[in-house]
Amino acid sequence: MWIDRRSFLKHAVVAGGSVLALPRLGWTQGAAKEPGARTLVLLHLNGGNDGLNTVVPYKDSLYPVLRQALALNTGQIRKIDENLGLHPALSGFEDLWKKERLAIINGVGYPNPNYSHFRATEIWFTAQPANTPVDGWVGRVLDARPSKAPLRAVSLTKEKPLSLQCSSPGVATLTDFKQFQVPAGMERAVELYGRYRELDGERGRVGRAGSDAIRVAKKIAALQPYQAPLYGRLGQDLRKVLALLNSDIDLEVIQLSFGGFDTHANQAGTHNGLLAQVGNNLRNYQNVLDQRGLGDRVTTLVFSEFGRRAAENLSGGTDHGSAGPVFLLGKGVRPGLHGSYPALDDLERGNFKYTTDFRSVYAAVARDFLNLDPDAVKKVAGDHEPLELFA
Amino acid sequence: MSTALKDEVALGHLLRRAGFGSSPASHEGFLSLGWRKTVDRLLDELGEPAAPPPEGFDPYVPGATQQAWLDRMLSGRAMLAEKLAFFWHGHFATSNTKVQDPQLLWTQYGLFRRKGGGKFRELVEEVSRDVAMIRWLDGNSNRKGVPNENYARELQELFTLGIGNYSEQDIREIARAFTGWGSHHHKFVFSEQYHDAGEKTVHGRTGNWDGDDVVRIITGQPASRAFIATELLRFFSTPDPDASEVEAVAATLHKTEGSIKDALRTMFLADEFRARSHYRTLVKSPVEFVVGVLRVAGASSVPLWAHGSLERTGQILFRPPSVKGWPSGAGWLGSAAMVERLKAARRVADGAPESMASGIERIALDGEVPPELAAALQGLEGKERIALVLASPEYQLA
Repeated sequence: MWIDRRSFLKHAVVAGGSVLALPRLGWTQGAAKEPGARTLVLLHLNGGNDGLNTVVPYKDSLYPVLRQALALNTGQIRKIDENLGLHPALSGFEDLWKKERLAIINGVGYPNPNYSHFRATEIWFTAQPANTPVDGWVGRVLDARPSKAPLRAVSLTKEKPLSLQCSSPGVATLTDFKQFQVPAGMERAVELYGRYRELDGERGRVGRAGSDAIRVAKKIAALQPYQAPLYGRLGQDLRKVLALLNSDIDLEVIQLSFGGFDTHANQAGTHNGLLAQVGNNLRNYQNVLDQRGLGDRVTTLVFSEFGRRAAENLSGGTDHGSAGPVFLLGKGVRPGLHGSYPALDDLERGNFKYTTDFRSVYAAVARDFLNLDPDAVKKVAGDHEPLELFA
Repeated sequence: MSTALKDEVALGHLLRRAGFGSSPASHEGFLSLGWRKTVDRLLDELGEPAAPPPEGFDPYVPGATQQAWLDRMLSGRAMLAEKLAFFWHGHFATSNTKVQDPQLLWTQYGLFRRKGGGKFRELVEEVSRDVAMIRWLDGNSNRKGVPNENYARELQELFTLGIGNYSEQDIREIARAFTGWGSHHHKFVFSEQYHDAGEKTVHGRTGNWDGDDVVRIITGQPASRAFIATELLRFFSTPDPDASEVEAVAATLHKTEGSIKDALRTMFLADEFRARSHYRTLVKSPVEFVVGVLRVAGASSVPLWAHGSLERTGQILFRPPSVKGWPSGAGWLGSAAMVERLKAARRVADGAPESMASGIERIALDGEVPPELAAALQGLEGKERIALVLASPEYQLA
């Protein structure tokens, strides 16, 4: 097993413990006063992304043994240090890496990995592997800083993901801006809610909640997908994300899902296309954020419910596995490699042993990007020490 | 306590709480039946079997189970039985996202529909054998020596006692008592070989308890009666019940060995239930709202758009977001839910006959139009009048 050259993990564990009780310094402090000012974007690579062929240990002699058909050509791998490189299709991530906008956390997983898409997704969404799911990790972030805002988080999916489950009413699915349009002839109803604002009791509460809710809905209905060089299904969703981020609707979280990663057969071409879409789109999206001055306000977390089996199968594909890399994009992230790459010669039932618990990543996001206090961070991520993922 | 509601207003209130609201076809009938007899009839209908599912019903057709249940809610037949089944569905919240078999969820709803008004203890005994529940809370991995505590925990925290009324030790012991309670295909099976027949101590009582013993012990606790009374009151009567209201319903549960039907009777006939203080105090959930507007319009079947609307507001039958069930109150007044309410009001008004506008205040507002709404309705006729009534703040409240 390698220890990461920068040994961030080691520092994180030591620093995390001692820094915890002290107030966070610098620019993170100011932003804490306005919770809506920052937005976390979550991108779920749905189906289980092949981590081994995403961040590739190209020097490891076991790599071509495990991947006889699927091993990537060493000459084409985009090397980021003397041992690791990115899939050739990830030129977008290579650009982000060079611009210091990309943090890669290797070997992210949890004990007793689950290999079912449904259950593994549930575990990543709730961050409570041992419990019956009742709320989401992001939902607990929202609950930790209560707000009456009628719209705090959206998911660009058909059903509300468990990650956003919480007691706040301000969580919605959004597949089309127009779905928030007030229908023709209903303006007088909207005015009526406004007139109820000052009333006592339940009617006043409905008046206030209703008129605030509709005000925000109208803003969304008026949005157009942002024009930027983004393509494919992921690109379409990112255009909507950019439009939301570029508006004055203070969303705290936006989640999206990009599927197709369940590559049991003939993986090479499919995976190449998917990663190209991820890399190119996210680079162009990050460029827009930087150009619009939104770089400090937005962090994007890219994860998958599991990685894939270390050894390929006989169909030119890979089966469900365990730990894999997580990516964090943004101007505020501490760029570079974090965690340590799982050992290729020390597998468990053919799968990588995780080296970083995913809740340490969530804890870092909750503490250092979303500025939660230590008690709230524990509610979100349990007792896992936050990594040092933010500058 | 505040003033009592007049008869017509109280009836409208009762039909919203104990059902899905009034409809033009049944409104006059209930008015002439009167308050007390309507309460009796709704309670008696708890014993009425549900209408058979529509011809060609196949639970595996996407949306079929939702459609069939929503249509039953819409029909007004045994409306309290359907409303109570909806309550239990939110209480024992089980989702097909994990169960992955809509037939099993339909069977579970059948249990709530059939036994919802019966003895609470018997209901919990059957829920403990329900295959959807077993799959949902991992009954099949609860085996002697390797207990899975999911069901034991939620049984107490969410289903029977509430947080603070049990210990971690109780959870461990109860999990042991339920070992071997599993399922095979669509059937409950008890596996002797997986069952831990040893001695357990549950809430201070020691014996070779099995699942039924546990259910008897925990539903017999005063805390369980108070818990269920509170849950019923919050769903049917008031978001914030007084201790005296809880005590009255809990006392009935005690006297009747847990009869839910009798508990409901006590609740509906309490002076508080028909007091002004309880009127229009519960926010209608999306299902209650959508079925309600369709009933006002006299619809005979729930249209396709309603499914999309419920999906966007986050209340899909058989897919509650978690074992905790759906949100309540202001949880249903976010941006997406509000716009869907306006859209549903618009669609229903557009599809309703213009003539309906003249009676809409009686059917939808119990004949009580507050001055703010009256001013807005001034001069409005036909579809526009219907749309505004259904979209009004009043109508969002049950």
